[in-house]
This record gives sequence, structure tokens and C-alpha cells, in this order.
Amino acid sequence: MTKKYKFLFVKFIAALFILNGCSNSTKFASENRDPFEKTNRNVFQFNKYVDQKIMSPISKTYVKKVPAKIRTSVSNHLQWMDTPSTIINSALQTDMENTILASAKFLLNGLTLGFYDLDKGETVIKKRDFGSTLARLNVSEGPFLMVPLIGPKTTRDLTGTILDRQNMATLSSNSIDDLSLAEVPINIIDKRSKMSKTLDNIYLSADPYVKVRSFYLQNRRNEIYSEKYIENKNNNLDAEFEKLLD
Amino acid sequence: MIFNVNITKSLSDNLKMGESTIQQMILEAQEHAIDTIKLEPNERSLKIELLIKKYINLDFMSKATTGSFWKKASEIQKEKYKAALLKQIVITIEDHFNTLATLSYKPIKSERRGKKLIYVRGLIEDPNKKKPDINLLWKLAANKNGSFLILDLEIEGISLVSSQKAEAVSILRKNRGNFDILLNKMTRDN
Repeated sequence: MTKKYKFLFVKFIAALFILNGCSNSTKFASENRDPFEKTNRNVFQFNKYVDQKIMSPISKTYVKKVPAKIRTSVSNHLQWMDTPSTIINSALQTDMENTILASAKFLLNGLTLGFYDLDKGETVIKKRDFGSTLARLNVSEGPFLMVPLIGPKTTRDLTGTILDRQNMATLSSNSIDDLSLAEVPINIIDKRSKMSKTLDNIYLSADPYVKVRSFYLQNRRNEIYSEKYIENKNNNLDAEFEKLLD
Repeated sequence: MIFNVNITKSLSDNLKMGESTIQQMILEAQEHAIDTIKLEPNERSLKIELLIKKYINLDFMSKATTGSFWKKASEIQKEKYKAALLKQIVITIEDHFNTLATLSYKPIKSERRGKKLIYVRGLIEDPNKKKPDINLLWKLAANKNGSFLILDLEIEGISLVSSQKAEAVSILRKNRGNFDILLNKMTRDN
């Protein structure tokens, strides 16, 4: 990375942290709090257009033309390429069990470059990224953002995604860098093909933007926060439900 | 002492009733999935709608998803909203119906929550292990007749009621509680 790009990168991360600071001090805000809603909605419209005009037809052709076995191998390989990030972040989060399991699985499946899952899904590893590490360090979630071509993120998760990419680029060799560059579009097509029905249903809803925001935040919070958060959330919902049942 | 034994018995009875409601519904859904494959899409949707209506508390879901705006809606608007909400639930579930016939449901745990609620946790598994397991959480409560109805379903931690509420309340807030605008948006593409 050249000096100029390094400087720009540091500035960008600093800006994201400042945006985070603009949010309230609690770890996560209400789902309806969306200070950048207007801009987010415009970006959502752009993403939706790209998705419907480009990504959806490509992923439909991918599902139609590529045999299921090959698609599974591609998915396995993409997951395998993501495992180093899980190993590093599990270690940073002092989740030693996940670090060891992810390392073992990475080494084992490395024999086939991750194209074949040699332990046949027996070892369940929790996906960990830098966003979840930042959450563990009590960095607040920050405002919700709709990122062009990437989709929904919070400022903390966007910072995490950039740092994850940066980490991998620093750790890996140039040839792996080139490989991962080719994998970005394949990853998007693979993910799109798996979410096809969900996305089509979302587009049919009364307010697709709010639905995406709600799905993303609920899913991400469940992934990141411990059982204590889920219990707390359920207690609040229970109280609300009981009141309505009276 | 006798009082305590009775309470424990009634709790376990309620849990069993909640669990068997879900088991029965899954069984019927799997039968429906096979029986309705050859039907016309509209006929199929109608059959699924009848099945869902039997097991969910639509009145509760409508109130829970519109918050304080529910009280301001007219009776006609309330009925229209219930119909639109049911339609949305059918659309969400319909696409997964074919896959349901090939997957198996495994109950995990049920628990009593507060005074009225029951949580039933389960897992949808692919016997061939080609698809990842899906965690489900059903929230139920007894109605006036004593039978248990579903209030909410969480799929992998994503609540159906919470996401529908976020959407409905956002539209209502922006339109000063105008239910007709919400209804137009909900029925626009269906």
C-alpha cells in the first residue's frame, strides 16, 4: 500500500469512528433511529436497481447452469477463505474454543483448498469478524448505513469489514490477494443465489428499506451479542405481549 | 402443598399443549405441502391461508405490529389490515412450503414465560445435511377457549412481529397515522 493510500485509509477509519461517536452512548440504539435515512433510502434504491438489473439475472443463470455440487464446492471454498478472519477475531475475543476449532477446520479443509468440507459440517464454528471484536470492546453500534453495492451495515460493522480486508491483505501474499479479488464477485453471486427468495419477498413488502434495516439489525445483534442480550430483548417483548393480551 | 402440586401440573399441561399445537401444525403443513403441489397458485395460497389462520392469533399480531396506532384505526381499516397482514404471512411462508416437505422438524425445548406466554423452540433439519439447520422459536398464549395460538415466530432470531412492526409503524408515523396509506402500500403488489 502506498503512503498516500495508507493516509487515506487512516482518514477513512477515523471518519467512521467519528460517525460512531455521533451516535448515542448506548451499545445499540432503537431500530427506528436512523439519522441518515434520506441518504440511505437513495442508496437502497440504487442497490435495488443494480440487484434487479444485474445481480438477480446473473445469480439465476448461475443456479440454472452450474450444478448444485459445484455450487456447494464454491460456497465451501468461500467460507474457507473467510476462516482466517474468524481465527484472528476469535483469538482477539479470547474465545479459545472457537479459535482452535476454526484453525483445525481451516487446516483440514486446506487439503482441498476448502472446496470440499472434509468434516461434513460436524464442526460448528461461529463466524467472527472485526465488527464483532469492536462490539466486544464496547464500541457502540453507531448509525445504520446503506453502503453502495455492499448493502446494510452499521458504522461499527463497516469499520470492521474494512479492517478485516486490510488485515487479510497484510497477512496474505500477492497471489492470494489476486485470488481474493476474483472472489469478490463470485461471493456476491453465491450469496445472492442463496438469498433469492428472501430478497424477492422483501421487494414485495410495503417498505422494503425498513424491512432490510430491521432484518439486518436483528440478525447482526443476535450474532454479536451474548445470550444476555437475547434474554433481555425477549423479556422486553414478553412484557409488551402480556400487556397486549390483557 | 396440594396447591403447589396443582400449579406445577397445570404448568406442565400448558407446556405440553403448546408443544403439541406446534407439532400438529408442522404435521399439517407438511401434508399440505405435498397435497397442494399440483394445485393452481391461487387455490394453493387459499389452502395455506386457511391453515395459518387456524394456528395464529391474528388479532394479537395486528395490534402488536401497529402499536398505539391500532386504537386510532376504524373497524373497517382494522379488518383490512388483518387481511393484508395474513396475506403477507402467507407470501412469506408459501415459498418455503416446498422445502418443508423434504425437511424434518425437531422440537428442542419449551418454557413458560411470565404469566401467559409459552416459548416452544425447535429446529428444522435437512436429513441429508446439505442445508444448515434453522432455529425456530414460537411464542404462544392461550386464547379464551383455552387453545394455544401463535403470537410470534422467530426464525434464526429474527422476529416476524418486530420486523412487521418496524415497517408498519414507520409508514404510519410518516403519514400521521393514516391507515389507508399503509393499507395501499401493503396491498399494492399482492
